[in-house]
Parts: sequence; C-alpha cells; structure tokens
Amino acid sequence: MANIAAQRIKREFKEVIKSEEVAKCAIRVELLNDCYTELRGEIAGPPDTPYEGGTFVLDIKVPETYPFNPPKVKFLTKIWHPNISSVTGAICLDILKDQWAAAMTLRTVLLSLQALLSAAEPDDPQDAVVAKQYKENNEMFQITARHWTNVYAGGPNVNKDCDDKIKTLADMGVEEHQARVALSSYDWELQRATEQLFS
Amino acid sequence: MAESTRTSTFRGRTVSNSESGCSMTHVKSANNREQNINSQPTISHSRYSRVCRYFLRGSCTRVECQFSHELPVTTTIRHSPIRNSNGRRITKNYNNGHNMPSTSSQSTSNEALISSNCEASVSLNSNSENNTINNSRCEETDINPEAASPILESDWVNAPEFVPSQPKQKSYAQAVNPLDSADYIQYSEQRLCPYVTKDGCCRYPPGECSNLHGELCDMCGKAVMHPFNEELRKKHNQECIKQHEKDMELSFALARSKEKSCGVCFEVIMEKAIGEQRFGILPNCNHCFCLTCIRKWRQARQFENKIIRACPECRITSDFVCPSMYWVDTKEDKDKLIDDYKKALSKKDCKYFKKGSGKCPFGNKCFYLHAFPNGRVCDVGPPPRQRRRRNFDHADFEVLQHVILWDFLDDRAQPWQSLADDLEDLVSFFSDSDDSDWSEYDLFYD
Repeated sequence: MANIAAQRIKREFKEVIKSEEVAKCAIRVELLNDCYTELRGEIAGPPDTPYEGGTFVLDIKVPETYPFNPPKVKFLTKIWHPNISSVTGAICLDILKDQWAAAMTLRTVLLSLQALLSAAEPDDPQDAVVAKQYKENNEMFQITARHWTNVYAGGPNVNKDCDDKIKTLADMGVEEHQARVALSSYDWELQRATEQLFS
Repeated sequence: MAESTRTSTFRGRTVSNSESGCSMTHVKSANNREQNINSQPTISHSRYSRVCRYFLRGSCTRVECQFSHELPVTTTIRHSPIRNSNGRRITKNYNNGHNMPSTSSQSTSNEALISSNCEASVSLNSNSENNTINNSRCEETDINPEAASPILESDWVNAPEFVPSQPKQKSYAQAVNPLDSADYIQYSEQRLCPYVTKDGCCRYPPGECSNLHGELCDMCGKAVMHPFNEELRKKHNQECIKQHEKDMELSFALARSKEKSCGVCFEVIMEKAIGEQRFGILPNCNHCFCLTCIRKWRQARQFENKIIRACPECRITSDFVCPSMYWVDTKEDKDKLIDDYKKALSKKDCKYFKKGSGKCPFGNKCFYLHAFPNGRVCDVGPPPRQRRRRNFDHADFEVLQHVILWDFLDDRAQPWQSLADDLEDLVSFFSDSDDSDWSEYDLFYD
C-alpha cells in the first residue's frame, strides 16, 4: 500500500517539476525523506491579493493510503487568512477533507491552496477571528494579511504603521509575534491589544 | 407405332420385350449378329450419312427420321436400331423363347417384313401360351418391325458392353474445370493431409501421401485451402477474414489502450503486473482507471457515497464499474462492453438469492441471475425499501458477512471479465437511486 503511495508521489514529483506552474515559480515541491512520505511545498501568493509577493511554505505528509486519502497539509509560514489557522497553520479546505478525490495530486492540491488564498471562504472558517475581520472590516483584513505576508512570507509591502505598533508593544516586553497577533485580532487598535495582552 | 418408337431407345445388348409377356431369356445368337451387321451398313451408310443427333442421345421420336440411326463407328458387338430399306426403324424384338432368328432384318420390303414377321410370330408362338396376345399386337400395329437377334445363353459373357458413343455434353463448369465432375466430387471429399495443414510439411516423401495437400491460404499462410472443394475454400476464407477482423480489432484496442494510464495510481495500465492490467470503465464519463484502483476508490468508505461513486477526476457519478481488458473510446464500443458485461452477470447466480433460498436486497434491479434450481427465472420485484438504521442489527450483520465472504470466495482469476466482486458496484448502483435509503444501506459495507 505504501508502495502505491510512494510510486505515485514519485510520478507526481516528475509532474510537478515539469509543470508550467514551476516554471512560473508559482508552486514547488521538495522531498524531505527518502520514503516519499514527508514533503515540503511552496506556493507563491497569488497576484492582486494581500499575499502577492510572498512565498508560503507548506508541510505535506503523505498517508500510506494515499491517493485514496488526502495528504495532510498545513502552512508552516504564518499567514492571515480566514481558512487557515494563524496559530497552527491548519487548513480548512474541503478537498483536503471530505471532498478529496483519488485523482487529485500534489500539484492540484497546491494550486487549490493558491486559489484558496485568492478566494477565501469566510463562512467556512478555520480561524474565526480572521474570518470575522474579513467579513466586518475587510480593509483592515487586507492590511493585516499584507503585513503578515511582508513579515513572514517575504512580501514586499512594508506597513510602517503596523511595524511601529508592534515595536511599541515589544518595548513593553511583549514578544513580537504575540504582539502582532494581538494587534491583528483587534484591528490594530493598540489600546485594546495591550489590554488583551496584559489582562 | 408407339411400340417402335419406344423400342428404338433400347440399345442394350439384350432387349426384352416385357410387354409381350414372354418370360424366357432372350439371348442373341452370334450368327444372327453377323447377319445384322452384314445387312445393315450397306443400307444406312449409303443413304443416310449423317447420324441422327437424337438417336445419339438415346431417343429419336421421329419414325421417319431422315438421319442415320447407325453409330458412326460400327463395332461388331453393338446392336443398334436398324433401318430397313424403307427407312423404317427395325428393332430387335426377342419375343419368343425359341431362339429363332428373325428374318425381319433381312427383308427388303415392308410388306414382306410384316407378313414374314406375322407369319413367324404365328408360327413361332403357336406353342406359346401368349400367342394370341402377340398375334393381336402384330396385327394392331400396322408396322411393328420386330427384329430378333437372339443370343445364346452360354454366350452372355461375350455380350457387348454398353459404351457411350460420345462423351456426354459438358457444362461450362466442367469445361473450365479439367477434372471430370465425378472425379471432382470424389476429390473434393478427400481429406487434406493433416501434417501439411498443421505444420506446413508432410511427413511422407513427395507423392506418397494418400491425402490431398492443400494450397496456401493468402491470409493465414497455411496450406489449408482444399484444392477441389470450393465450399471448404470459401468456408476457410470466411474464417480467415473473421479472424483477421478480430485481430485488427484487437490490435486497435491494444493501440488505444497501450498508453493509457490510471488516474489514480498514474501507472500505465498495460504495463502493470499481470492480472492488474484491467481497465475499470465508468459508464458515465470517459476517464481512465485501472480496475483495482477505481474499485478501491469506490470502497473508500471514509468518504461520502456521493464522493466515492463519482469519477475521481470529473466527479460525475457512475452507478457501476465495468471491467475491461482494453480501453474503449467510442460510445458504441462502450455500450457494447457494458451490455456484454451485464449479460454475463445475468447468467451468474445471485449469491443473495441463492437459487431461491435467500433474499436479494437488490430485488429485480440486481444484475445477477435470480433463478430457482430448476432453472426457472424469478422476478423478485423491486428492491424493498431499507429502513433507516443507525445501528447494525443482527440482519445487517448477516448480510455483511455474506458480502465479505463473497468478496473472498470469488474467483478473480478470470482473464477477460471478472464477473464477480462487483458487489460494491451493486451497492453503489442502488445508492444512486432517488430514495436515499440505499446510501444508508451502503454504510453497512464498511
């Protein structure tokens, strides 16, 4: 069984490497071990989204029952997205759960994730806070997501305001990421974030 | 008149006048024959040089035939109808048992013939029982030239053989074919040498084989064409064409299957291990899978029925998977394949129905055969509606056991179509029906 999984990953690997998306640096897969069970994926943030310019690293674990069961995928790169946990990187995507199909591949999974970045599903959230912001204060969501992309995924858009606020909190002895999460959760209102952090 | 016409057809060595009622054997006498021969040619050859065609064929209906009724090559032993000087035909009529030479052939005038003949008849038959009959006949038929050429009983061995004067007229077919039709028929029934037919060479030295050696068939290259039997040739040719068509179909099927890879395991199906080189054809879409993978996918109970019964590529739901050795491109091919598959299944006993002793949950929608031991097919009606149940009760477990057993007991070694282990297909087939009860049923097969 594991043999089928390994065989298939091997073949998929070739497919991904040859694919157009790789040529455009949109997706990438690399092996972490020799038995084809652990892989590292990379997707580029889709254009015209707050994730543009960022590179998001994914942890892919191929089950023995692959391809009859989906691979277990999560974001290693911190990301601000309604369907991705800002804490764990867990993804809420139907095809990685009950809508999996045996004909899907690593490539299609990565492309689906890329699509997910451009089209979030706030009604089926993984991260409730992000989803709430996405729905209620989308402008702030855009800012936050762009900031996170800049900080964690190497995105080009530096947001001076956000950086300053984080620095303020850091000066108070708050860990930088913790400060960023608190500020992001409270629409970058320094006071409320501070209250939450020190309550 | 009628008599003479009829008797002219007798060209045999002994001509018996059965109507005369004479029961005695009539044997020609040698000296009488001589007489006949000596007397006739002069008449016939001088006046009628051309031979009557009808006579040659065996019957001339004309009494006053102006052509010779003499065979062109006179053999001394042939007795033919002869003519007297009046051109009247004179046939030999051995009408009495006294072996008396008739004088009819020698007489030159009709009157003389009649009178002498009648006199002879009267005189000769005076002792015989049927003389009145003969007499009356003689009188009735104004001209009844009866030539008797009695042959001695002891001389029958030397009696002339009947030899056809000319070969029979040939048909075009015979003319085209060098062999006589009789030979032809005889040869055409002769067997072909099995060694040549099988291996291409005979185990006997040339010319010593008692069987016929077939000619090479253009199509299969084997020496199997019967040289004389057209029917067998045609038959073989048709077989060859049929075989050729089959081969062509197969090679086309191979060609279109060769490169196909499974959408699940990504392997080229024809390059998989022996026994796994089978396609699982979905009726409702054209995506290609190997049978093993698509079946496994359809048994992946961790997903909803809707998911696993859908094509893994396009998500179009199919009710069952049809196993096939080759990939099918066209709709016709596919329809035929599926039709054949269902037909094959319908000949196999349903293992739920158990020849009447069990109950098939699929009712008359089951692909398998519902028949009693005596062969009577039974319509079990539509499948019963399954109650919605969350817990497996005893009955369900029983069904489940059968299912599992069935899966393991089934012979999967069939090379062309595995007629068994389509349970999941059946299950899924029904779970597709409008009442969702069937999908509940599905869950029992986890």
